[in-house]
Amino acid sequence: MSGGKAMKLNTEMKVEGVSKNVWEISASEKSGMNAPARIFATENLLKQMDEGVFEQITNVACLPGIVNYAMAMPDAHWGYGFPVGGIAAFDPEEGVISPGGIGFDINCGMRLITTNLSYKEVRPKIKELVNHLFEKVPAGVGVKGSLSLQRKQVLEVMSSGAEWCVENGYAWEKDILHIEEKGRIYGAEPANVSEKAIGRSMNQLGTLGSGNHYLEVQVLHAENVYDEAVAEKFGVQGNEQVMIMVHCGSRGTGHQIATDYLREFGPVMEKYGLKVRDRELACAPFGSDEGKKYYGAMACAANNAFANRQVITHNVRNVFEKVFRKTAEEMEMNLVYDVAHNIAKVERHSVKGKMKKLVVHRKGSTRSFGPGHEELAPVFRKTGQPVIVGGSMETGSYVCVGMEKAMLETFGSTMHGSGRTMSRMKAKRLVKGEQLQKEMEERGIYVKSASYAGLAEEAGMAYKDISEVVKTMDEIGISKKVFSLKPVGNVKG
Amino acid sequence: MKHRFLENVAIADIAFEAEAETLEGLFAECGKALTETMADPEKIGGAGKKEFSVEGKTNEELLYNFLSELVYVKDVEGLLFKKFEVKIFPGDASVKCSGDSLEKIGAKNLRNDVKAITMHLFKIEGMKKGFKATVVVDI
Repeated sequence: MSGGKAMKLNTEMKVEGVSKNVWEISASEKSGMNAPARIFATENLLKQMDEGVFEQITNVACLPGIVNYAMAMPDAHWGYGFPVGGIAAFDPEEGVISPGGIGFDINCGMRLITTNLSYKEVRPKIKELVNHLFEKVPAGVGVKGSLSLQRKQVLEVMSSGAEWCVENGYAWEKDILHIEEKGRIYGAEPANVSEKAIGRSMNQLGTLGSGNHYLEVQVLHAENVYDEAVAEKFGVQGNEQVMIMVHCGSRGTGHQIATDYLREFGPVMEKYGLKVRDRELACAPFGSDEGKKYYGAMACAANNAFANRQVITHNVRNVFEKVFRKTAEEMEMNLVYDVAHNIAKVERHSVKGKMKKLVVHRKGSTRSFGPGHEELAPVFRKTGQPVIVGGSMETGSYVCVGMEKAMLETFGSTMHGSGRTMSRMKAKRLVKGEQLQKEMEERGIYVKSASYAGLAEEAGMAYKDISEVVKTMDEIGISKKVFSLKPVGNVKG
Repeated sequence: MKHRFLENVAIADIAFEAEAETLEGLFAECGKALTETMADPEKIGGAGKKEFSVEGKTNEELLYNFLSELVYVKDVEGLLFKKFEVKIFPGDASVKCSGDSLEKIGAKNLRNDVKAITMHLFKIEGMKKGFKATVVVDI
């Protein structure tokens, strides 16, 4: 057991050890908390957490109808409203839905695609490959994609997500089984979406955006396979296998929908007598007309994000075909999985021994459903779902598998990335983008970035040690390590 | 009129403070800080013009809606601005701004794409002489 002061944490609140890698802040530590807050971290990661994590996760615990605990994952850091790396589940009758608990980038998420190419085949063409990917998957400020959608098509994408991509030739039919919710969240209501959000959707499908979004060519080294049987099920074929990882979300569609409802929920909170500690936690009762309306709009953005990552996949397959002069099918460019890490979902979980419907908010957190879960596609029913954990562009990423214990401890959720420890402004002051690009190339990572300033902000030193983050949840048994991947080529937003 | 970026606030995003003697000046300064987040202001000309108005019950609502409109215009019309003329009336504000298209500014002069304006720590404070605003933008 350790108190905050004794451990030199970035908080004055008392943080008690519950079990290995699990910490708790009692509901008595801040006025208005309706539940305790739990933080999942090694002692070292807990010490690294900035003051915002402790402040924000206890603010989340003040929201009405919260069930069990407000939770922060080992990659947690200061966000807006919720900390990034935050999870909260709410009772659908007594609880709320909050755009700040989802983020502006609704259904920001990760996607992993296999190839049967070895690094030996790819290495001589890595520059050509990354340069073509940079051209075909636009990144940066205000970029437009190659697709220009009519209003009717935008509404179709919002309703049907990745299914729209199958119908329009941007997806293989089997891709759908390898996407969370099969790439379509039901309950999407385009009528609840503003004309501005529709306008921002017309030209952005198939684009990465900026910030920490990326498209990465990665290599699997045999020594980085931790569970061979599960790795094989997830598409691992052998040493030096090349894979492609994508990190992006719903682009302007989600950003506009979140902005619209954040504005709308100010007076809604007055109407229902709701008070929050941070205006970014603006919310509405989930069962209210306003709460239902936001859920329908949020689902539209989530579906747009599934389609966005699918169109990117289509363009990635085309680039590989052009560079390697083989078909994508011949190169076995199969989708391993696509996971959302900024979303609210209605799911069934066990609460005090009884199955209950809950509104689970994951803000910078990945679903981590374990073996046997009825929601999983048959291909993952025995193993549990793949959990894609994106690391910094210098250090690499992990693929884990969801465990049954996640259902008992974290509403079937785990971490989403390595988590920042340094602000963008500080990283930019300490690192020069051009220099970093050269150094990375010398280390065998070819980066093509839309902006040198943006590149500097994403330097590996600005992030926590991803291996320790992943190990935290592995040791608790929430998500188990399966394999890790090292970057060799990167398109940076 | 001045603005500065805050180093240790909302670490994955970007926060800034702006100060000005008048509310109109404060809005203009916040607009400049927002543009500076997305591009090198030295590389932005004045050929692209835009006029719009926003509504809001409070000055904070007006500022939030003004900055959100600039993010929307960046995505839909591909324009960033460096000069702002703002007039504030009870319940609304009218804005005339000039800048350049993203194409003309050039990819190498662009920085971070702002997704949205957050309400986290968002405020306007009165000072002895003038006003100060704090804004965190989502990156």
